[in-house]
Amino acid sequence: MMKETHSFQYDALVIGGGIAGLQSALDLADQGFKVAVVEKDATIGGTMIRLSKVFPTLDCASCITTPKMAAASHNDNIDLFTYCQVNSLTRSDGTLKASITQKPRYVDPDKCIGCRQCEYQCPVYVKDEEQGGFSLRKAVYIPFSNAIPQLALIDVQHCSLCGMCAKVCPTEAIDYFQQPEQFVIEAKTAILATGFKLTPIDQKKEYGAGQVANVISSLQMERLLAPHGPYQRVIRPSDGKEPDSIAYVQCAGSRDLSLGVPYCSRVCCMYAIKQAMLLSGALPLADITIYYMDIRAFGKGYEQFFQNAKAMGIEFVKAKVGKIEQGENQNVLLRIEEQEGDGRVVRREHDLVVLSLGMVPDWNPAGICPVTTDTDAFIKCVQPKLAPTLTEMEGVFVAGVAAGPKDIVDTIAEAGAAAMEASNYLNTLSSGQAA
Amino acid sequence: MGKPDKEAMKALRQQRKAYIDRAKQEIKKQRKLIKAIKGQIREEAKTVPRIAAATKLPSDQVLLFIAAMRKYGQVIEVDKDGDYFTYKLSAEA
Ligand SMILES: Cc1cc2nc3c(=O)[nH]c(=O)nc-3n(C[C@H](O)[C@H](O)[C@H](O)COP(=O)(O)OP(=O)(O)OC[C@H]3O[C@@H](n4cnc5c(N)ncnc54)[C@H](O)[C@@H]3O)c2cc1C
Ligand code: SF4
Ligand code: SF4
Repeated sequence: MMKETHSFQYDALVIGGGIAGLQSALDLADQGFKVAVVEKDATIGGTMIRLSKVFPTLDCASCITTPKMAAASHNDNIDLFTYCQVNSLTRSDGTLKASITQKPRYVDPDKCIGCRQCEYQCPVYVKDEEQGGFSLRKAVYIPFSNAIPQLALIDVQHCSLCGMCAKVCPTEAIDYFQQPEQFVIEAKTAILATGFKLTPIDQKKEYGAGQVANVISSLQMERLLAPHGPYQRVIRPSDGKEPDSIAYVQCAGSRDLSLGVPYCSRVCCMYAIKQAMLLSGALPLADITIYYMDIRAFGKGYEQFFQNAKAMGIEFVKAKVGKIEQGENQNVLLRIEEQEGDGRVVRREHDLVVLSLGMVPDWNPAGICPVTTDTDAFIKCVQPKLAPTLTEMEGVFVAGVAAGPKDIVDTIAEAGAAAMEASNYLNTLSSGQAA
Repeated sequence: MGKPDKEAMKALRQQRKAYIDRAKQEIKKQRKLIKAIKGQIREEAKTVPRIAAATKLPSDQVLLFIAAMRKYGQVIEVDKDGDYFTYKLSAEA
């Protein structure tokens, strides 16, 4: 058994280093509190750093996320613990204790200067999930160019242990023998900001169970649209063709009882419209169609955004997509049940099809901390109307998509609210009023 | 890490044998594939379907490796041929 070696003390612990966690950490740090951010990935930034541009302003996602990531990493009151797993979060004697495992990078973080020489020389190519699986990385790699921290890590499952990375590393940072390390973070308050993942692309048999070429997820399309994407332009993954006709299938993983996701994921309509607009900029001659059941443009300026998309010539078809199959020439064949007019069933072919998959929680607290989840599996808020960031655990708050699907604007607002609740809690504790 | 201890490395290799064997197989396959692609685009820029037809490799695999080779500076995009872009080996490759 591993020994619990170190214990670190903070005012606040933030679990999850996406935009919600970073905003909460920055707000608390600005008030003078010491904050630990624990992130399971090798980099902070969450989904937002992996997006192309963001609705409704069409700001470059990386241009607005990178400064927040850098601000958190340079803030004297914030310590980032990346590539870490939270094993438990419990309260005893008024203190929250989190047992954490630092997963081995097989690279000494104090020595690595992020020069990537190891990555260039490593002989093994591995599918790069950071690029939607459309490009390759090496067995030793830095997740992406604006990852924070800029540290290499070795994917041992694909490493041939050839020794090349150790040979070329100028700082002797490679450590093939690194072991997981166990430590404890003690804090007075915590914010859960564990975000979401998409429903699996192969979940639905009617949609080809992930086997139809050129049917991709919305996050994969974000990578195709990103300036540092896998192809640095939008081409389709099966053969590099520049698509003439692109379609979106809305509610592809939401509002569907058979998938266990009966709720609306709230952001898919807006991100599909955003991507469609970006596509018509990138490919002015392409036909872009959005097959939808309802358009939910709920936020400030969102209806106008939708109207602008229509005015740009994006085709909105109120229809249910019943089946997705492989067509000729690697095209994608859709069987559509129209929901307007005479409700006919029609077949349409597209070069590339994007599934607007649903959002599901990325973390289940069961067995880790005594916070319960709601019927939708997101973390339960005990006062959803009056204090939406309160959980069932005293001094533990929730922010962002961890509490339920929402966009960045609402995530940021909620992260600020969670930080305020946590700060009030800390102030009450220090004035001796808390239970 | 300084020079790793020989005995310790031997033990680690034994411990990770399954991963290492698989990685070595992958390296072999990947080297063959990269060589075949490079052979096609050394003199002339070609589209993915043309490279795929000439090498008899699946076009999605060709594009995957073209994307990776571009990332690591070995391939450049040249121009367009119909609906497809063409790729050529870079001067550094
Ligand atoms: C395709 C797509 C496009 C989008 N486009 C837009 C847009 O244009 N505009 C907009 O407003 N919104 C957009 N959104 C929504 C936006 O991505 C979310 O609102 C935002 O990312 C939520 O941030 P978050 O921090 O709550 O969650 P996340 O971004 O999911 O971050 C959560 C973080 O927590 C970490 N984590 C999870 N579990 C643990 C654990 N157990 N321990 C430690 N760390 C953990 C994760 O690794 C991650 O880093 C889009 C969503 C999608 C899917
Ligand atoms: S030891 Fe592993 S990670 Fe390092 S260069 Fe060789 S294969 Fe790549
Ligand atoms: S491990 Fe060494 S070679 Fe790799 S990025 Fe770090 S310093 Fe550079």
